Amino acid sequence: MDTQLQQSGTCDSGQHLSRRNLLKGTVLTAGGMAVANWGALFHSQTIAAEAKRTGKRCIMLYMEGGASQIDTFDMKPGRPTAGEFRPVQTNVPGIQVCEFLPNMARHADKLGIIRSMQTKTPDHGPGGYYMHTGYHPSERFPHPEAGAMIAKYCENPESDLPSFVKIGSGSGIYGAGYLGPQYDPFVVADDGKLPGFANPSVAPEIQGRRAELLSFMEQRFAEQRPGDPFASHRTAELRTIRLMQARQAFDVSAEWEKAKDRYGDSKFGRGCFTALKLVEAGVSFVEVGQGNHDTHMSNFPISKSLYSTMDPAWGSLLDDLTQRGLLQDTLVVWTSEFGRTPAINVRAGRDHFGRAWTVVLAGGGIKGGQHYGSTDRDGFEVAENPVSEADYLATIYKAMGVDHRAKHYLGTRPIWATEEGSKPIEELLG
Amino acid sequence: MNETFANAKVIHTLPWNSDVVFAVAFIGNDKVAAANRRGDILIWNLPATGDQSPDPVRRLVGHTRAINCLLLSPDGKTLISAGNDRTVKFWDAALTTGEPGQVVLNDGFVRKNQGGTMGLKKISDPPPPVTANVVVQKPLRELTAHKDWIWGLALSRDGKTLVTGDDSSEVIVWDTQTGAEQHRWKTKLWVRALDISPDGKTVVTAENFPQLKFSEKDAGVRGWDIQSGELKFDVSEELKFEMAAVRFSSDGKHLAICQGNIDRGENEGKVFLLDPSTGKKLRELTPPHHNGATDLAFHPDGQHLFTSGRDRVVKIWRLSDGKHVRNLGEEDKGQSESLCAISITPDGKLLAAADGKGQVVVYELDPSSQKQPSTT
Repeated sequence: MDTQLQQSGTCDSGQHLSRRNLLKGTVLTAGGMAVANWGALFHSQTIAAEAKRTGKRCIMLYMEGGASQIDTFDMKPGRPTAGEFRPVQTNVPGIQVCEFLPNMARHADKLGIIRSMQTKTPDHGPGGYYMHTGYHPSERFPHPEAGAMIAKYCENPESDLPSFVKIGSGSGIYGAGYLGPQYDPFVVADDGKLPGFANPSVAPEIQGRRAELLSFMEQRFAEQRPGDPFASHRTAELRTIRLMQARQAFDVSAEWEKAKDRYGDSKFGRGCFTALKLVEAGVSFVEVGQGNHDTHMSNFPISKSLYSTMDPAWGSLLDDLTQRGLLQDTLVVWTSEFGRTPAINVRAGRDHFGRAWTVVLAGGGIKGGQHYGSTDRDGFEVAENPVSEADYLATIYKAMGVDHRAKHYLGTRPIWATEEGSKPIEELLG
Repeated sequence: MNETFANAKVIHTLPWNSDVVFAVAFIGNDKVAAANRRGDILIWNLPATGDQSPDPVRRLVGHTRAINCLLLSPDGKTLISAGNDRTVKFWDAALTTGEPGQVVLNDGFVRKNQGGTMGLKKISDPPPPVTANVVVQKPLRELTAHKDWIWGLALSRDGKTLVTGDDSSEVIVWDTQTGAEQHRWKTKLWVRALDISPDGKTVVTAENFPQLKFSEKDAGVRGWDIQSGELKFDVSEELKFEMAAVRFSSDGKHLAICQGNIDRGENEGKVFLLDPSTGKKLRELTPPHHNGATDLAFHPDGQHLFTSGRDRVVKIWRLSDGKHVRNLGEEDKGQSESLCAISITPDGKLLAAADGKGQVVVYELDPSSQKQPSTT
């Protein structure tokens, strides 16, 4: 693995999502293909009414680069692998978390902590793909990421909003795969702000008249020239128009001023607050990324600063979901492409590690206040109840009310939401 | 070729492989104290002659977590330490008595290179213990007002005022004699290092918010009025680097600062001389340390600055013209533990380096061989 790491300590491009892939996602967004996954067009509803009508939602907090399990939720005090952080007691006897996660400590009764993730690749690109889709990228098969699957099964068909939103693209854009472009993620900036094309250049009434005229003309055109390219182009236009109509849901500026002291005045904090507003408005799946967890060097000061940003945002998100009565139907996932090594390297860093690491589930469908699985005394191996990528996704799907073995077809080829043998963790499901 | 410090050589390598040795301070000219990430402090008496490396004789017990800073009071009587247990502790630097005890000098583990940890299946068992008989001593007193990790620790030249700074951006000014808090203020970012000007009027803070990908807004260098806590200067725009250490020279003529709080790779260990009254950059000293500088110390001759780095060398710089005089040690541009901190004896004859490999390395600088620095 040494050869795959740059001397500077940051991983090379081959290990990360490639720029081409990133641009592909961005370009698709700009072109409209990724302005996807809306329900019906002309059923504008108030945000509150939509929130009541729609079902389960999921917010995924994705720690880009690989978050350390030993420094967060699977601490090894007194062991050589412990590092410089110490555990603190939570509101659940027997559960301890890092001293720099005080908000998580008070929310532990809501957390299902899986401490026995055992995953197959310690490389960023494949690891990210695996943890988003449940399948290995080498299959060269267009598997959808979890957000697309949940968008398909949990979307509100009457919503004007996209059903799968990614706040920031650093965690990778793996797409809707065989589910089709209507479930591709709608990607916004990492502070939750919309791309520029979402802002109309004319007044709403003028925009509406233009849309009607365009629709009339294109309908006549399409009647004479049926075909997928035209339909795709037209769909993109309609989606963009709808985004313009629904863009207020993404504009949290006014409320953010009041919320930022609690969430922390950071991009991740604002992203979490935007995620709250979006699920409240009926969006089925929102992913918020926090970058910079790839701490091959200087792990402790960097992780400490990351947690100082992450913890208040995550904690306030759980507070607000609880306060608004949304937590029981909103699954909040804290995850990554892999964990980090128990052993500390010569540069005071922790490297990539998939053999025994941690993800955390909370809220909708999860019985909180418990650990699932464990690792050995120094954290090198899973001691009990190993959980694979597919098991993890099967658990998320089941919590969301989605059949983890739902069968789909690519042409005539059957393909399942999660691979054969995958099992939801029943002990965590409420 | 300039022969300044040309005869410098390692005279003692003091093994202490329990954890990363992170801080070091001489006590007088013949004793050296070092502190590690485990929270231990050991003191060695250095023999006047011969090249044998002595065992430690004293162990200072009290810190429960990594020690970040260690310094000696100007009168040489008190050792002061601070670190991640959020306390400042005062120790009797001269005391030789205490409870008899033993210290294991090799109970740490060997660290792998970056990436080499990924295939590791267990931490290797420690070798048979190598022990030393020591006197165990406890702190004279401690200050507990900080709520976060303490990285800034400095004494005024008269020893009467102590200033500390922490990761919650809190700077506290203390009366050293009584331990009374005089006042405090907030900096903008986390305090990574600080020093007090020799006239006792200004505190300079090197601040940062550590990130994997450096952002200019996440670093700052500021000067503060020690009495009021009011900002006197802010050169963060000019010095957009995460600094690891900052220090005034004893005569107040120089202010030096070095980059390297976070390990970032090549040429990220710049060293600067600043205007002591305004903080403005006067000169960048080149070549920089590879992977970051970690500490700096002025030589008592008033003519030289020493810096340590992750490249495992101590660089010697001439203050008059900023020239790089020479390196002590073999430069390592690969992956290795850092030299974390340095200290120079009051007589200027010895330099000690806290070595992340788990040892203290003592150089004889041999000032008697120094020639006057060239002015050409």
